[in-house]
Amino acid sequence: MLNVRICVGTYCYITGGEELAKMKKNLPEDIKDKVEMIGSACLGCHDMEGVAKPPYAKVGDVLIQECTEEKLLDEIYRQLGMERK
Amino acid sequence: MQNKEKLFIEVGSYQNNKHKNIVCGDSVLLRKCTGENRNIAVLSDGLGSGVKANVLSTMTASMAMNFRVRHEPIVRTVQSIMNTLPVDSVRNISYSTFTIVDVDSNGEAKIVEYDNPPLILVRNGKVEEIKGSDTIIHRGDNNANLEERRLKLSDLKLQKEDRIIFFSDGVTQSGIGNMDMPFGWGEAVYDFIEDVLKQNPHISARELSMKIVKQAELNDILRPKDDTSCVVMYVRKPRKLLICTGPPFSETKDKYLAEIVSSYEGKKIVCGGTTSQILSRELKKEITVNIDDIVAGLPPKSEMEGIDLMTEGIITLGALVEILRQGPTTDLSGQGPAWDMLRMILDADIIDLLVGTKINVAHQDPSLPVELEIRRNVVKNIASLLENKFMKDVKMQFI
Ligand code: FES
Repeated sequence: MLNVRICVGTYCYITGGEELAKMKKNLPEDIKDKVEMIGSACLGCHDMEGVAKPPYAKVGDVLIQECTEEKLLDEIYRQLGMERK
Repeated sequence: MQNKEKLFIEVGSYQNNKHKNIVCGDSVLLRKCTGENRNIAVLSDGLGSGVKANVLSTMTASMAMNFRVRHEPIVRTVQSIMNTLPVDSVRNISYSTFTIVDVDSNGEAKIVEYDNPPLILVRNGKVEEIKGSDTIIHRGDNNANLEERRLKLSDLKLQKEDRIIFFSDGVTQSGIGNMDMPFGWGEAVYDFIEDVLKQNPHISARELSMKIVKQAELNDILRPKDDTSCVVMYVRKPRKLLICTGPPFSETKDKYLAEIVSSYEGKKIVCGGTTSQILSRELKKEITVNIDDIVAGLPPKSEMEGIDLMTEGIITLGALVEILRQGPTTDLSGQGPAWDMLRMILDADIIDLLVGTKINVAHQDPSLPVELEIRRNVVKNIASLLENKFMKDVKMQFI
């Protein structure tokens, strides 16, 4: 199981974390059973000002900044070694 | 120090309108005089129902309350009420009933009753009517048709686990004409109260007042024939709730924060991601966040062993303020973390707010899509709403 963590702390939530969290319900069929998607109260990255930007998510050990649905799915498929349809 | 423990009094009330009426002809006012540690409750039932009754009872109740707060003698209070109320043009009387109860933290209760069903004391699960002395008061002018009123005054010394209960006649007269209660619920309400207490000896004042009014409504087959109100004052050990939000100003205080939280005797709410992380680290407990359901547009709740409710910080607190602003409501069916908080708050008597004062740099970012208020202000708002609208004992500590 690939571990995916979406930050739903204040900063990330209002910058797009809400949409990311809602993805859990509509994950594509082919990866649905291969990832475990959970939330995080705060990934502890939001004060990396000037270095990176929210929202944050983690796929396995990889931190994604300015995360979007696209970026997240790309990384999931990459780590699963699968082709994105 | 002697163990002269201050008593805590929970005050709860519930009201129902006469069927199809949009305003209630009864008025209930509750006030906590924080400085003097007194709890005052007033219930007034205006003649008739609808707007006219509402005006009469509101005037009566607010005058009674204001005079009482200022320790005015009862005779003067009642005379002023009699002289001020507009006279009903049809019946040529000015009329509204009232009950005033004033309890201090030593448990001394002063009670004034005028024409409401008798107030009752519940002690050791048994209902007792209380004996008082009658006083007759005349309207304060030399009007030919002297109006007079007979008041019942009583003093009571309350003990732990006592309850004072009073209601409008909508309660005792509910069910009139039913096969099993042709003359209304009457004193059978006493049995009902004793039964409820047998099943749930620690039922809160709020719940008990609601149960009584709801049963009266059932007696009238859900079409109340009169406005119905009930007030319960319950003397008991206070229920405590800690709401902890925000990281401490200095990281050296993180341990201290964790200590307060873990040793707190009562329910615990933690609001804020960073705060949650600090506690998780210090107390070595894992946090899980369930993102299956995102309710009411608020960030989802988290879970951590030992914490009764863990939520996001400032957005959730802001939503709570919005709910609190509307004042006490009887509809508690709302969903989402802010409503969960409200329900826990309503069940508590003493609320400790532990507020971390570290400024969240990220929140000051002008490019954020929403404006985030400063935690301190939001919490201060919450504190004053809880004190003024919800009669809660609130303590605030900044770290
Ligand atoms: S809020 Fe997302 S990293 Fe802190």
